[in-house]
Amino acid sequence: MHPFISLRRVWWPWCVLLLLSGCIDPYLPEGVGAAPNYLVVDGYLNSRGRSLIQLSRTYRLDQNTAPPRETGATLFIEQQDGPRFPLSETAPGTYTSIPLNFSTESNYRLYILTAEGKEYASAFMPAKVTPPIDSVTWRVNDNGLTIYVNSHDDTNSTQYYRWDFDETWEIVPTIIPQYEFRGGDVRLISVPYPDVCWGNSPSTAVRLAKTTNLSQDRIADFPLQSYPRTSERIGHKYSILVRQFAQTREEYQYWELLQKNTENIGTLFDPLPSQLTGNIRSLTDEGEVVLGYVGAYSRQEKRIFISRAELPGTWPYITGYESCSPPDTVLMKDVLAVFRGGFTVPVEQVFYSSGAIQGYTSTTLDCADCRKRGTAVRPNFWQ
Amino acid sequence: MKSFYTLLLVLLSSVIGYGQQSEKTVTGNFERVPFEQFVRQLEAQTASRIYFDPAAADSLFITLQVQQQPLRAVLQQALQNTALRFAIDGENRVFITKGTAIEADLLPGFFQQATPGATIAGTRPDDEQEQNREARRSRYVSAAEYKVYELGQGEAAGGKVTLAGHIRDSKSGEPVIGATIYSESPSIGTSTDQFGYYSLTLPAGRYDFKIRGLGIKNTRRQVILRGNAKLEIEVEEDITPLKEVVIEAEKDKNVSGMQMGLDKLDIKTMRQVPTAFGETDILRVVLTLPGVKSVGEGSTGLNVRGGATDQNLILFNDATIYNPSHLFGFFSAFNPDILQTVELYKSAIPAKYGGRLSSVLEISTREGNKKKFSGSGGIGPLTSRLTLEGPIIKDRSAFIISGRSSYSDWILRRLSNKSFRESSASFYDVTAHISHKINDKNSIYATGYLSTDRFRLASDTTYRYLNQTASLKWRHNFTNQFYGVLTGAFSHYGYDITSEKNEVNASRLEYAINQSSIRADFSYYPNSRHTIDFGGSSQLYHVKPGSLQPLGDASLIAPHVLAREQGVESALYVSDRIDLNQRLSVSLGLRYSLFNALGPRDVYRYASNDSRTENTIVDTLRYSAGKVMATYHGPEYRVSARYSLTDNSSVKVSYNRTRQYIHQLSNTASVSPTDIWKLSDYNIRPQVGDQYSIGYYRNLKSNTIEASVETYYKTLHDFVDYKSGATLILNDHIETDIVNARGKAYGVEVLVKKLTGKINGWVSYTYSRSLVQVNAGTPADQINGGRYYPSNFDKPHDVTLIGNYRFSRRFSSSLNFTYSTGRPITLPLARYYVGNSSRVYYSDRNAYRVPDYLRADIALNIEGNHKVKKLAHSSWTVGVYNLTGRKNPYSVYFRSENGQIRGYKLSIFGQPIPTVTYNFKF
Repeated sequence: MHPFISLRRVWWPWCVLLLLSGCIDPYLPEGVGAAPNYLVVDGYLNSRGRSLIQLSRTYRLDQNTAPPRETGATLFIEQQDGPRFPLSETAPGTYTSIPLNFSTESNYRLYILTAEGKEYASAFMPAKVTPPIDSVTWRVNDNGLTIYVNSHDDTNSTQYYRWDFDETWEIVPTIIPQYEFRGGDVRLISVPYPDVCWGNSPSTAVRLAKTTNLSQDRIADFPLQSYPRTSERIGHKYSILVRQFAQTREEYQYWELLQKNTENIGTLFDPLPSQLTGNIRSLTDEGEVVLGYVGAYSRQEKRIFISRAELPGTWPYITGYESCSPPDTVLMKDVLAVFRGGFTVPVEQVFYSSGAIQGYTSTTLDCADCRKRGTAVRPNFWQ
Repeated sequence: MKSFYTLLLVLLSSVIGYGQQSEKTVTGNFERVPFEQFVRQLEAQTASRIYFDPAAADSLFITLQVQQQPLRAVLQQALQNTALRFAIDGENRVFITKGTAIEADLLPGFFQQATPGATIAGTRPDDEQEQNREARRSRYVSAAEYKVYELGQGEAAGGKVTLAGHIRDSKSGEPVIGATIYSESPSIGTSTDQFGYYSLTLPAGRYDFKIRGLGIKNTRRQVILRGNAKLEIEVEEDITPLKEVVIEAEKDKNVSGMQMGLDKLDIKTMRQVPTAFGETDILRVVLTLPGVKSVGEGSTGLNVRGGATDQNLILFNDATIYNPSHLFGFFSAFNPDILQTVELYKSAIPAKYGGRLSSVLEISTREGNKKKFSGSGGIGPLTSRLTLEGPIIKDRSAFIISGRSSYSDWILRRLSNKSFRESSASFYDVTAHISHKINDKNSIYATGYLSTDRFRLASDTTYRYLNQTASLKWRHNFTNQFYGVLTGAFSHYGYDITSEKNEVNASRLEYAINQSSIRADFSYYPNSRHTIDFGGSSQLYHVKPGSLQPLGDASLIAPHVLAREQGVESALYVSDRIDLNQRLSVSLGLRYSLFNALGPRDVYRYASNDSRTENTIVDTLRYSAGKVMATYHGPEYRVSARYSLTDNSSVKVSYNRTRQYIHQLSNTASVSPTDIWKLSDYNIRPQVGDQYSIGYYRNLKSNTIEASVETYYKTLHDFVDYKSGATLILNDHIETDIVNARGKAYGVEVLVKKLTGKINGWVSYTYSRSLVQVNAGTPADQINGGRYYPSNFDKPHDVTLIGNYRFSRRFSSSLNFTYSTGRPITLPLARYYVGNSSRVYYSDRNAYRVPDYLRADIALNIEGNHKVKKLAHSSWTVGVYNLTGRKNPYSVYFRSENGQIRGYKLSIFGQPIPTVTYNFKF
């Protein structure tokens, strides 16, 4: 993130300086007040397995909630001039097919009939089979760590690649409370907080590469993710699951634009607005906007682990709990008032030199309980 | 000649000789003698002729005794207590009239006027008589008007001779630019250039030249031209507040002038227009002209006839200015006190100018008072200014230096709010100009200009930008018909943005462009039908496109420096203005320009059939210093014609092509200090524009009202627009984020202007469209599906009224009214969730508009008294800007706050702004 604020922001002190009141007013342009309620399709047709499609709706700019799900729709994967395969709603707005095996000779599309009776379909897309990931590697340099992916397609038929990934990392709290606040008093802890948790984050970034200007269809050391040496994610043990998808040229271009379409708007360094819709059309109303791009391809995965011991010893040891120490002391008389809220928790007893209990050291729940930052359930793939 | 002298002598002797010995006297004893008989007696004794009306004197009898009395005394006694009066002229003729005496002495100059074609001329200005006469004449009439100048020696071969010279202000000695000098019969005329120079080629003979110009009083010169000659003309400044003076400046130029699409303003016109902070602002005034718009308030980026803000060549005494504004556009960067004229060419751009597509804005400063030292200044709510000027060598060289500074920093520090105290905002500009006349044939002019801005606004980020220019001009007159000007100029523009608060990411972002140019311009006036201009120019650009550097040891910002750019733009031009006959004039011009992008630099080559992205780079070519990386060149046609339909109406047509090799990239729609100027290179082609325009001009009510209708159609090729999701700052391969767009613009401009009388001003209406199409390349590069869409500055309807009313010599008021359609914007319409992330759904580009713009301002000018002898002349300007308090949106923008995206409307002037400015002159 660049350290500069929005150019526009600098205006407002001027308004005040010039004794002008109310220079900035909330503003909803005409025709924008009512947010459009467009159908959004997220997912792809898996040419070698289960397809998972999520249907939602666009929502208001000033809403800070999860997107409204589109439930009760009927979805089919349709083979051009061939059979169709239903998807069933496995969770609200999430539709899943049985494992399928597409013919690479054929084209496929997604057909949607919403609960309110509107029909939509994606364009027929050629079924592609994604080549396997050759390797996921990593290297360190002066700044930090970079993770690379390698792949190739001997048939030269992939050329356009997209990746996303899932990251998981260990979280080890540095403060282990011996006491807890229970029943209006501070007692020895009965069930200790977990001593390790696992953080998890799906990738929000879009990673794309193409080999059209190479003589071979080969991806060599494409950088997927980088961390500075001070990142807490690589402080203990880190794992990344890389998923690779073969794309058509059109879908590649769609993702290229989507990559630039973020919520960051209005500041100097933010990209300019981009408009994009996708390959889905309404069959009922030609002019209706539908968002999303549904391609037909398979998925390849590879997981690697990186532990702290493999990283240079000169790198700082970052736990993510640096801001938690040293603990504050809570005197006995304040115990009830401080701990009752549950936000601050006791850690250890503190004594006067006379031996009497002075009070307890304290920390925040976030520092004590790593479940605030991840899950204490060990992932089944964890090594 | 001789007879004139004789005449003068007679006139004088009649006055001087009065009462002398040589005069005949009268002796006699009259007793109730009839008046007629009395007269016969006087005639017999004095040899005077006496004229009277017998009817008026038929009942009058004279009783009088006189001894050796002069005629005058006798008549005085005789006509005492009667209704008769007498007058004696130089030839001792006596006129007796009833009631009032006639003026028997001729008014000086009576004979020159009364004897057309008489060959009387040659009085020298220092003649005693001349001065006597001048003293008796109204102080508003120049003696030179009545003098007949006999110029030149011998008959020139073929009868054609050239008259040339300068028109200068009589008080300050400064040249008068754009004044016309013409003779009505035969009809021959020209206008002065930027040096106040004119040259006329015409048959030898007698002429009555009329001189007209903006801000000067009409005058005339009578000339008998025998050979090639020089005539220096001094004219008086037109002092507007005086009732006797009627402004007739160039009143027929609208119809008879060759140029179309030219708007010319002098500083006096500009001063009358009310502005936000009471200070005359040339760009604000230019914005009131038809066909000129800006994206919003507080922005001085001009959009001329649907062109982008980078398509205007802004010349300040021949040096290019890249950012003409202060304080993000609240003020224009030119101190009004030093300006002489501003000329805006919207079409029929002279071949002399090039390098920008849409317009040329030529700003000229004054030369400074060549006769005496003087100064002027003003005190306003945010800024103050001071100008000093005077001769270095009287009548030969002069200086003018002018400075302006804001004191908003001082105000900010006194505010109670902490964040304001931490803010700072200041700007200043300084202009200095020196002119020196080496001899009759050589003059030099030097100008230096510096303007800088600095802000830190309740944040850790400091913005700073700087314009620096210098120009040196040498003008040489080869002959009366031929002169040349050699100009060297240097322009620098740069900005930096510094962030220091958080030491971890303390950094400085910098940008700079330097331009050095040299040009030679020649003007040749072979005869009265042709005016030929030719010349050449070359300019070298050095661009530092951007660098981000860490500040301090703790900063973790990685340095990022973009490679420099270099280029040379050269051009040759020739143009000829031909007056085919009295009704038809044609101007033909051709300019040929050439651009070379120069190394050292690495050039990326992209796959030709694919959208340019980092991934489609197929080759990187490294060019060493001075190597030509890309060459673009082409002709630029400049053609215009005028046909006079009648004496007060004409039709003008023009076609011009322009080429532009430097492009401005801005990620806001307005000119802000963070714009980047980018040279054409291997991947970015130059912009080319063609404009066709036709106009009808008519003057009404004996030239007091000018009316015009101009319409134009413009096509633009290869101007830059941005791809969806473009990143413009610190982009190493900017060509991947911009596309070459096509544009078209068309419109009609209607202007009615009244520059005389108590009520004066202008009203204009413009209908114009400006559309862009990005249809090339892959679908991902296309914008709005390849359809035409409105440009950022497409504001179809625009009405402007500038009205002034003069109550008295000292009080005048002005009213300014502006309406325009709101500008187009791209809006985020909704959010959606795809690919594990929340996204924003945007409308088609520029599919929406901000609310319409409407503003009215009013100002009252109060002049001090007009006593000539006074220490200092002063005036007050009191005004209210945005009288209705309407919150016109400057921008509509969106911010992501706590996961919500909110829209805001920013209005810079949310309520009426009162201002008071004090101006003085000494």
